[in-house]
Amino acid sequence: MSDFDQIIVGEEWENTDLSLLETLDHVLNRGLVIAGEITIAVADIDLIFVGLNVMVSSVETANEVLRRRQATE
Amino acid sequence: MAELAYYVYCIAESAAAAQLPVESLPAAIEDDSKLEWISVNTLAALASKVPRATYSEENLAEQLTDATWTAIRAMRHETVVEFVAKRVTVVPLRFGTIYLERGGVEQMLAYKGRELESIIEQLRGREEWGVNVYYDRAVLLSSITSVSPVLRDLVQRAEQAPPGQSYLMQKKIETLKVDEARAAVTRIVDQIEQTLKSQTDDARRLRILKVETTEHGELKAKFAFLVKRAAFEEFRDAAERLAQEHQSAGVRLELTGPWPVYNFCAG
Repeated sequence: MSDFDQIIVGEEWENTDLSLLETLDHVLNRGLVIAGEITIAVADIDLIFVGLNVMVSSVETANEVLRRRQATE
Repeated sequence: MAELAYYVYCIAESAAAAQLPVESLPAAIEDDSKLEWISVNTLAALASKVPRATYSEENLAEQLTDATWTAIRAMRHETVVEFVAKRVTVVPLRFGTIYLERGGVEQMLAYKGRELESIIEQLRGREEWGVNVYYDRAVLLSSITSVSPVLRDLVQRAEQAPPGQSYLMQKKIETLKVDEARAAVTRIVDQIEQTLKSQTDDARRLRILKVETTEHGELKAKFAFLVKRAAFEEFRDAAERLAQEHQSAGVRLELTGPWPVYNFCAG
């Protein structure tokens, strides 16, 4: 299909930049918030995300993270 | 031995948790720890021990500024939740839900039990799919003249006008092109949202954290849809039709998933 992309999460991780960013966005910014006994100030998450964005733009670092991810599977 | 705390990934029904023995689960967020189910009545939280020092409020903030450290932990969190979400209905928790003692997790399950059960009920048999809409500015600007009658007319008149007047008309054409292109993108994005929303159980428009320019063009909108597993084929076909319909305007759709239902568990 040339005009349509379907990225299956957890399979086609070769699309590194996007998949990694998408995943980080999901895990860090979404999901049910239950106040645990230790909480991260939600306001900080945006700042963290800016840092991650910078990191992810370095493909090498992104690949390293993905390799470690796969190694944990 | 260092003092420990409990990091919680997600919550499922106890009966579902029983189908997923911890030995079958992926690695925990920290290397030297194993996942465990903490069950109270009908609900079970998936958790693992983490060093209390690293995950304490003051230290965690510091750790999180280390992007590589954070990315690896976030990916492990995701791997665990994805694994469970592929098999049973699950409520994914946001990164960094931490309790000092096992008893704290049990208390939370008991206290929030009814709310969690109703969320699980809403999510049963459903998955989250993401749709990213990109547009190629150059393609859209060049195609906009052919689809906008006002623009086409103006272009023709500018060609026949005397040089001074033609120059002014050219200026006007450029401004109009940008306006028309902007309006066209907004219209297309709305149409995509409405069409796909009507096919699904719920929809969220997500914020774009930064303007991402990729090989597909500029990211214009991001959506999350809650889709019944049984209705996925129709949903994908609808997305594909939209992609074909708007391709000539430089618009491209990307479907990502299935995600654990991160965007639909706020209750």
